[in-house]
Amino acid sequence: MTISEESDLKKGSSNNIAIEVQNLKKHFDDVKAVQDISFKINKGEIFGLLGPNGAGKTTTIKMMIGLLKPTSGEIYVGGYNVRNDLNKIKELIGVCPQQAAIYKFLSGRENIELYGNLHALDKKVLKEKTNELLEATDFTEQSKRKAKGYSGGMLRQINMLMALIGDPDILFLDEPTVGMDARVRRKTWEFIGSLKERGKTIVLTTHYIEEAEALSDHVAIIDFGELIDTGTPKELMEKHNVEDLEKVFLKITGRRITEGL
Amino acid sequence: MNLQRTMALLKLELKKLIRDPTYLFSLILLPVILTLTFGLALSDTPTSTPGVSIFDFMIPGIYGFTCVYIVMTVAMAFTDYRKDGLLDRMNTTPTTSGEFMGSHVIANILISLLQVAIITGLALILGFRIRSSGFLLAFAFVGFLALSSVGFGLISATFAKSSGAAVGVSMIFFMPQMLLGTWIPMSEATQVIGIFFPIYYSTNSIQMIFNGVPLTDITIWINLGVLAVYSIVIVIIGTVIFKRFGKA
Repeated sequence: MTISEESDLKKGSSNNIAIEVQNLKKHFDDVKAVQDISFKINKGEIFGLLGPNGAGKTTTIKMMIGLLKPTSGEIYVGGYNVRNDLNKIKELIGVCPQQAAIYKFLSGRENIELYGNLHALDKKVLKEKTNELLEATDFTEQSKRKAKGYSGGMLRQINMLMALIGDPDILFLDEPTVGMDARVRRKTWEFIGSLKERGKTIVLTTHYIEEAEALSDHVAIIDFGELIDTGTPKELMEKHNVEDLEKVFLKITGRRITEGL
Repeated sequence: MNLQRTMALLKLELKKLIRDPTYLFSLILLPVILTLTFGLALSDTPTSTPGVSIFDFMIPGIYGFTCVYIVMTVAMAFTDYRKDGLLDRMNTTPTTSGEFMGSHVIANILISLLQVAIITGLALILGFRIRSSGFLLAFAFVGFLALSSVGFGLISATFAKSSGAAVGVSMIFFMPQMLLGTWIPMSEATQVIGIFFPIYYSTNSIQMIFNGVPLTDITIWINLGVLAVYSIVIVIIGTVIFKRFGKA
């Protein structure tokens, strides 16, 4: 039985569901970082988790990828329960963390190849995939240099390519374009869009409204650990009778997403 | 255990040794400097044993000193990896704890053996004479000592929140071993304390081997057994404690 066939049999999974989050809570002592969040993410869509800094986006993602244990609630990724089948989930996912987690004494290419080896890619496939990713992001030349000398934007690019080298079905991108200049950010958006075309499911957290609007098929707006509203960007704008997601957020919460940044 | 993953992580650690000046200095240049300094200063200074110089007497201690330095470098590496988000990221890949820790253990044992080879090579040029056919057994002692150093390094990294603090915390394990088990002569009282540290068994036995004590001497093998058990227990404790309390 293949992983996808097996996952379809699991509770919480149906043919089109990539991720299901049920009544998720995370409390750090008295701080309620995530409060009773539930949502589903369809296969092959870009799902934007939108909210200001400290809203609970990263905490939610960390629980989805198994780095934090939920206080209560269930998470299914690819049909597997995060509590019981984390090792199987790790075979399916790629994670681009908010902090660029890169070995500075390695070159960009070596960082990508390391993660390809951690996903046990065949040597020939690894070389081809690395070249393909670097060419797609115009990073081939810079990738030969040590990461120690990279700018913040370059570190972010390698950070994302490291998440992609294992050819994951489900990709978690936590604020992937923070620190990138406008040109590189636009290029990264195009690249993320191309991943969707290849059938990847992408969970994207961002506090950039235009990024969420440009990329997301569905959006969940989070604030103070609570899921305030969810839907397609168009549905949310129509529902609240405004012309952008920032105004949706303002209307629901009385404050702007970018406040306090 | 997946060999491809383990080898990739092993290569990573060895590249760090060559490319990161802190590790290159601590683990390779420092042993070279120590050997050169003591060799040039003391290779002609005799001891009460005919034909044995103070430098000859010090070599096992220099092995031990460089090996216990691994406590510090492991503690620093793990706190840096944690601070830079690399441990969390590693945890999102199919890499198992066994592959990750195994690669660190193998890398540090290889580094310790490289240190011994460099020190011995230099020392031979400077007049050190090996008077035993059991020289290779010294590598086994050093390998196990490196294993215990990885364990102490992990324990230090569990409690230290930055690489600076890691240096401080690792001194708890480094200093007593340096004072009680290298080239500093021990009184009977300090010898009693020394037996609680793995370096005692390593330095003591390597000195016996280098002094020509036959390998049939049971003390050498008892020491090797004690050191092996001690090192394995410490590295298991270090791994468990770090996994339980040190990752965040």
